[in-house]
Amino acid sequence: MNGTQIALLAVGIVFVVDVVLLFGLITLKTVHRRRMERHDRRRSAYLGVLSRRMAFPLHTDYIDPKVVSDGAFLDAVIDLRNTMAGPEIETLAGIIDRYGLVKRQAAHLRSRFPLGRRLRAAVSLAEMGDESSAPVLIEYLNDREPEIRIQCARGLGRMQHTPAIDAIIDRFGEESPWVRSRFADTLVGFGAGAVWSLLAYIRVNHDHGENEGVIEAIRVLGTIGERDIGPPLSELLSVFQDPELKIATIDALGYIGGPLAVTPLIGFLDADDWRLRAKAAHSLGEIGDPLANPSLRTSLEDDNWWVRRNSAAALAGISGGVELLHEALHAGDMFARDAAAEALADCGELGKARERQERGQATVADLQLLSFMTEDVLVP
Amino acid sequence: MSQARKVLVADDSEAVTTLLVTALEMAGYEVTIAKNGNEAYEMGKTGEFDLALLDHLMPGLLGIEVIAKWQADGLEIPVIMLSGVDDERTIVDSLDLGAVDFVRKPFRLPELMARIRQRLRD
Amino acid sequence: MILDVLRWIGYGIISYFVLMQVYLIFLGLLSAVAMRRTHHLNRFGRVADMLSSQTSPPVSIVIPAYNEAVGIIESVRSMSIVGYPRFEIVVTNDGSTDDTLQRLIEGFKLERVRIPYRPDIPTVPVRAIYRGRGSVDITVIDKENGGRADALNAGINAARYPYALCTDADVILDAKCLVSAMRRVVEDRQRTIAVGGNIRPLNGSTVHLGHLIRSEVPKRLVPRMQVLEYVRTFLASRPAWSRMDALPLVSGAFGIWKRSAVIAVGGFTSGHMGEDMDLTMRLHRHHIDNKIPYRIVYEPSAVIWTEVPDTLRVLKRQRIRWHRGLMTAVHDFMPMTFNPKYGKVGMVTWAAMFLFEFLAPIIEFAGWFLIPIAYLLGALNITNLLVMLGLALGVGLMSSLLALLLDESFGYFNGPADTARLVVMAFIENLGLRQLTVAWRIRAVIGGKSTRAWGNMERKGVANLGLDG
Repeated sequence: MNGTQIALLAVGIVFVVDVVLLFGLITLKTVHRRRMERHDRRRSAYLGVLSRRMAFPLHTDYIDPKVVSDGAFLDAVIDLRNTMAGPEIETLAGIIDRYGLVKRQAAHLRSRFPLGRRLRAAVSLAEMGDESSAPVLIEYLNDREPEIRIQCARGLGRMQHTPAIDAIIDRFGEESPWVRSRFADTLVGFGAGAVWSLLAYIRVNHDHGENEGVIEAIRVLGTIGERDIGPPLSELLSVFQDPELKIATIDALGYIGGPLAVTPLIGFLDADDWRLRAKAAHSLGEIGDPLANPSLRTSLEDDNWWVRRNSAAALAGISGGVELLHEALHAGDMFARDAAAEALADCGELGKARERQERGQATVADLQLLSFMTEDVLVP
Repeated sequence: MSQARKVLVADDSEAVTTLLVTALEMAGYEVTIAKNGNEAYEMGKTGEFDLALLDHLMPGLLGIEVIAKWQADGLEIPVIMLSGVDDERTIVDSLDLGAVDFVRKPFRLPELMARIRQRLRD
Repeated sequence: MILDVLRWIGYGIISYFVLMQVYLIFLGLLSAVAMRRTHHLNRFGRVADMLSSQTSPPVSIVIPAYNEAVGIIESVRSMSIVGYPRFEIVVTNDGSTDDTLQRLIEGFKLERVRIPYRPDIPTVPVRAIYRGRGSVDITVIDKENGGRADALNAGINAARYPYALCTDADVILDAKCLVSAMRRVVEDRQRTIAVGGNIRPLNGSTVHLGHLIRSEVPKRLVPRMQVLEYVRTFLASRPAWSRMDALPLVSGAFGIWKRSAVIAVGGFTSGHMGEDMDLTMRLHRHHIDNKIPYRIVYEPSAVIWTEVPDTLRVLKRQRIRWHRGLMTAVHDFMPMTFNPKYGKVGMVTWAAMFLFEFLAPIIEFAGWFLIPIAYLLGALNITNLLVMLGLALGVGLMSSLLALLLDESFGYFNGPADTARLVVMAFIENLGLRQLTVAWRIRAVIGGKSTRAWGNMERKGVANLGLDG
């Protein structure tokens, strides 16, 4: 074959591929689309039947047992499950049980492939939130596929299956940041039931190499915000070596609060590391105890911008703090003045002052604040 | 006996609308569905509804935006807003706008029905 | 002898184009693989969970505004309701000559605040800073005119959160775009420094009360051609680049940037006509040179809609501007091109940018002259010529069809009529429209009168679109 013939052949192949692609596009458009439409129609029908059962449990339309293999039925069940919160859930649980939906999805999850179906099965089990799926979900917390692990944890969290807590926490150290953060969210969902396991994990694993998992655990404690965990966590502050752990703990204490948290945090306003000082200021703002006000006022003159900013923001939110901020507008320290001004603007004080001025009800402090703001800004 | 009360249900989730339509129709109300915020706003403009059940997060106009637009047009439709979002700001904003009730999703059906009945009685 | 040379040049030119299309097909297939995986995750990864999650990092939405009085309020308001737990909006008024600033002050009850402006990135002088009093967390920087890059830098300076979404005042954000993009950040917080989004032309779509109701393929040819172009880039190229860890461009219309990284390289370059490509490449260079682990990714489900040029005149200005930006970038990053030190960025994606984006119009333009001459002088016979042209066109069509197939999975073009229109477009764009863009880019290379940077495109305003496609 000479060059021309090869080229002609190539052109021929190319155009055949083009036709195939075009055909594929048309097929996708029509066939696929029609399949989706049929799926949606069935789903609507199932929603109607199921809704009637939810609203009137004595009302029984016949549901063909074959629906267990229909993805549209599963979709309808899950959508309703997500919509309702009351005793109707029982009716739905009964349907899930009677038609063996969990068994089927568990079987899909157990199969080796395809990944798409396994993933969909894990999600469906998580969404259905049926206790009977707990064993298989715990089993597959160790699955190779990270998204499946995430869904298993999520499911266990949704059904508040407390025996799973330890299994989930144990995986903290090995997981990638994304998976770990999703696990953390799940643990938050468990609430107070998870705090002691988390504390145990922290006690055992801190400063043993990578602290990422421990930091995540501390963050979870902060998010859950269970008061009782405050004191033991405060104690650990002096034991931790890694400053990142201290920072995370100070942050968490801000959300946990409690009478024993304030004093150590005030102490950290003098720490050497600016990050500790900044975090302490922020946390004292979260706790909102006026005991911290004098120290926070002093921190307005800290060298570090973050510390000043957090201190000012904290004062804005604590009772009696706003007055201190107004005072600070006259401070000798220029940085303190700026920090106070920014906080007063952010917390809405400036807006309120303006409104009061517009109504003719401005106080002396308001007028001083407004005049402070309208002086021309120094442009660097 | 006065004629059936008209209720507008707006939510992009078919599960929610089907469930509500079923429950409301069985209870004797006349129900119209809107699938997104813009549809809800347009339908509400006709002024024939006694109550509106609005989802907050919908495609198109959000629940609060629909209420704001109705108010701007001078309409006063009682509203019960449904939302799955744990958003402080949304709650405050919608209450400021005079939304009658704010119900979290997932909701308890008997409770929602009771609130609807009460609203319509007013 | 000369005839032989001419013939080989002719073959060479055609082969170049075939090679380019083969590269695009390779990218398309790789994109298909990459998107299949993210498609699963997006359907089942429950992005919505992130909405209430504590792990979502706060974001500053940075918007540069120059003479945007017409739509600025609507625009900012629509951004303020994007679905995300914690974010702020920072608008930079870049020395507008209309009443943009006044409208912002009135519309959001802005209060001038006396807080120091900290120029981590140097910018032109800032006149004042305003904060909103209402429920929208908005900051407005009022400064002298300095261009889009400078305005973005000022916004980034004033931003309070570690991540900045840089966008434009006239885009429509999809409700989930911020969550989708930030999900990529949370996946790997240590290393992720930028995330690019998916841009779709708004023209011809139905926009009602500031929200996109239905997306449609525009009736006019000029925007319709761009729809095809954007689908080819954003669905059949970028996912592949991202998958190779060698994304050379995070779009200016939607980019999540890690503030500290941007500051470390000095922010956007003022006056550059391709400031987004420039910043992306500089980030690559900085992190590779200093051996800092990093990643820059693209998220196809972070969708935003923007108006694209409706007429040839405006399109021409845009394309000339883009090509001049590319030229500057090619010059600036020449040391990285084909340099193994820069991994896949240097050896594959940037090399391809140089070879196929930059050189293509020059080679094609040369082809317009050389090939007919070769034919007339008898160096090429007509059969060979037609066959080779057919090959180039056929392969080009393949890459377009592949892109359209990939787009199916997003389902924005609902009717078969829309798909048909785009397929037809794939055929007819070679009948003159594409050649026009080549001519414009040659014009850009020749240089001379430079177009004024940014802000030249006549805008109908977002609300008026959809009235006449």
